[in-house]
Amino acid sequence: MPSVNGSDVKKLVIACDAGMGSSVMVASTLRSKLASQGVEVVHTPVSEIPADATVVMCHAGLAARATSTAPHAVVVPFSIFIGDPAFTKVENAIKNGETLES
Amino acid sequence: MSFSDAQAKSQANKNRTGPGIGAHVQRFGRFLSGMIMPNIGAFVAWGLVTALFIETGWLNWGGDGGVAADSWIARIGGWGEFDGAGLVGPMITYLLPLIIGYTGGRMIYDQRGGVIGAVATTGVIVGSDVPMFLGAMAMGPFAAWCLKKLEALWTGKIKPGFEMLVDNFSLGILGAALAVLGQLLIGPIVSQLVEWAGEGVDFLVDNSLLPLTSILVEPAKVLFLNNAINHGVFTPLGADEAAETGKSLLFMIESNPGPGLGILLAFLFFGPRMLKAAAPGAAVIHFFGGIHEVYFPFVLAKPKLIAAAILGGMTGVFTGVLLNGGLVAPPSPGSIFAYITFTPPGGYVAMILQVALAAIVSFAVASFLLGFGREAKREDAPQDPAEAEQPAPTPVAAQ
Repeated sequence: MPSVNGSDVKKLVIACDAGMGSSVMVASTLRSKLASQGVEVVHTPVSEIPADATVVMCHAGLAARATSTAPHAVVVPFSIFIGDPAFTKVENAIKNGETLES
Repeated sequence: MSFSDAQAKSQANKNRTGPGIGAHVQRFGRFLSGMIMPNIGAFVAWGLVTALFIETGWLNWGGDGGVAADSWIARIGGWGEFDGAGLVGPMITYLLPLIIGYTGGRMIYDQRGGVIGAVATTGVIVGSDVPMFLGAMAMGPFAAWCLKKLEALWTGKIKPGFEMLVDNFSLGILGAALAVLGQLLIGPIVSQLVEWAGEGVDFLVDNSLLPLTSILVEPAKVLFLNNAINHGVFTPLGADEAAETGKSLLFMIESNPGPGLGILLAFLFFGPRMLKAAAPGAAVIHFFGGIHEVYFPFVLAKPKLIAAAILGGMTGVFTGVLLNGGLVAPPSPGSIFAYITFTPPGGYVAMILQVALAAIVSFAVASFLLGFGREAKREDAPQDPAEAEQPAPTPVAAQ
């Protein structure tokens, strides 16, 4: 199981099916929250997650595909697009240097 | 129901479809929609030009405006004295299939795949008498795949300094051959297939069977096959129909924001606490922003609500069949603003009823299924036993 310390996260990848709709929305929300931490937040289609991704967030229904595209990345699934606890968890892990794992 | 309970349910639901199978279907769907979605902006441009300038368009008051047949409007729209010319025809006949073929090729073999995809797509376009969306979706990736296989034969074996010569001529020769093949053989075949598909749709419409598609579409939609179904199937078929008749109901089957809105409103009034709080924001993003994904988790949390989505969707499609509804171009994202923009003159009553009735039916059914709030009260009251039933070995870190 891949794992990463929150303080080492420099780039957070948000993935959705097309990489044009919901992931853009989630990414823009998280970008403003994580701007102070120097973390770059990007959005991609789940089939095109970049190879250097360390932490990927996507909806639970797409997590299997995210894991197969980026087997070395920590995949953190969420269930609802607004106010999911998973967002808070990743945010806190990055801010406080806690460990994240798939 | 607590949030984590909802999550456990959706997780269990996912596992029920079997590991991998859902992902494979999603992946194939992504392959189809991935050729269309990056190009939706071009569809919007074509849709705007069409809605404004064709003979039955807005600038001619739906055909009653008395615009002269030699006017600049006719010149752009390609009617009257300019029949066969104008912007509308070339955009849908050449521009849209070509960029789809290009995108499809690029998905297989980068830039060179895109180039040969466009070259080969030109063949199927001229070899057919209907707009070649399906032809482009087949020919673009196929041509790129051929080039990839061909070049694999001599990769690394070319004398230094001759790479460019070999690259350009291998693409050029293969592209020319595929374009000729496309015009003479593949174009007519795909043309025939599109005609049959169109007849199939007509059959469904004529026999009022089109609403039944919702039975498949709505469940598939919340399993994140929304783009695959809409842009893999309905957008190309609908664009063919719209090119012929000026509008298509197929654009409104998956993209109708009514059913999702009804479900979100039902959660707003009768949902359990966790989901209730997220419902209003989700409803705004869904209905006005057109990001339908935000309501899928609500249905996944309470799978029986799929009945509300299906009945709402069927109501919308049935209303469309009854009132001869349709849009001139694919509304993407499925926002009410896109619906308003692409409604043809005289089509507003049908469009508004399609969305509103779908929302009302789905709201009513969803409210009933949520027990008008009784279920939420029951679930919100006791301590939450959900932690115990979390599936332990699944790769979910969000609990």
